[in-house]
Amino acid sequence: MAGQSDPNVSIFSGEEVEFMAEDEMVEIVPNMRMEPLNMLCGDFGPFYPQMATQVPMWLAIALKKRGKCTIRPPEWMSVENLTQILEAERESQAAFQVLPFHYVEISSLLFDYASGDIPDLYMVRSLINDIRDARFLKVESSLESFEDARSSAVKVKNLSAMEVNVVRPFVGRALQAFYKHGSPDLVPNPEAMSARRPQATDNIQRRPLRRR
Amino acid sequence: MDPLLQETVLEKAGSIVRKVGSFLKMESYYDIDDILVEGQRVPVVFQQAVNGVDIDPSAETHCVEPGSKVELPYWLAHELHLRKVAKMKVPACFNQRTKLELGADGASVDLRSRCLYFYEFGCKIAPLVSDRDMGSFLLSAFRTRYQKILAKAHNAAFTAHSKLLSYLTKEETNLYEAAQSSMAAFKKWRIGGPRFERASVLGRKRKEAN
Repeated sequence: MAGQSDPNVSIFSGEEVEFMAEDEMVEIVPNMRMEPLNMLCGDFGPFYPQMATQVPMWLAIALKKRGKCTIRPPEWMSVENLTQILEAERESQAAFQVLPFHYVEISSLLFDYASGDIPDLYMVRSLINDIRDARFLKVESSLESFEDARSSAVKVKNLSAMEVNVVRPFVGRALQAFYKHGSPDLVPNPEAMSARRPQATDNIQRRPLRRR
Repeated sequence: MDPLLQETVLEKAGSIVRKVGSFLKMESYYDIDDILVEGQRVPVVFQQAVNGVDIDPSAETHCVEPGSKVELPYWLAHELHLRKVAKMKVPACFNQRTKLELGADGASVDLRSRCLYFYEFGCKIAPLVSDRDMGSFLLSAFRTRYQKILAKAHNAAFTAHSKLLSYLTKEETNLYEAAQSSMAAFKKWRIGGPRFERASVLGRKRKEAN
């Protein structure tokens, strides 16, 4: 599936990634009584005042806009947890911390629609911004090193949807170019290459993937 | 295996390979960049005399002597080379000087002025010319320059890199612009605009009933 906003480029726009993130479940506390909602994607409810229930993000936002519920921010959005994650992100240059796949979009949606329901809003917002910036720097530095291995693949674990989406066009093109230039038709005499640069050719067979 | 059968099988395999090859070629048939790459000029040396052609309008005779050096577009030189009428030489943009410069500081060499389609052209030329190192040379050149593009592409503003952009070949520019546009799209989303587009009819005031 390709993005729909621009037919020429196979990339999702930020809005499209956000749309996908709206299917993530979130806990709400309704303040009204309502029959269960039977949707194609599942049944939600019934809703009773002060009884927490799980609904998708889009439904939570729709109810929130009408003042029918409060949204409980997910557990990972607490100040302690985010501080820990930020520290861990800054400590290790290689590994990425485990965060929800759509953490950028979910947090941004919650800041926009349910800012009143998030305790320590200011703190949480700046922590998430810091985490995102720190992670993006690491994405860049990991892309810098992957071409040393002379591989046509790169492995980076625990990236989130938005981070992947931002680097997708660049990485796709770059890998294609490396693949093209590294093809055996163009580098036809490995024995001559190995005489000049033995360490480079040794890596080809042994490390098809750069592990992270 | 029966030798006749073996021959048939080999022939079949060969035809499949040829078909796949021609299909892959067709893939770039309508690609304007590919057409422009094939228009790049290559120096050739004629191996045989060719009658009835005017390559140089000021020449006195209507024939080309063997051993004469001419610059021809790649698509023509390629066909002549395959028919062994002419022999291709390494084009000027892949000369020893460029190689040395790229080896010294690959990231700041102005490849755009030498050949806008440096890599694509190099890939096409590499199997035809006698230079065996061409492929690995292209790869190492791209690798050094890739790092520079990566470092610049995802951060600062467009204007700050106009100098860098003037050095990049077509392929590198595409890479750079892909990164820039996706980063710009992300920033636009993060800052956010109106989440709902208001239909134009909704804003209007009701017409007064006459």
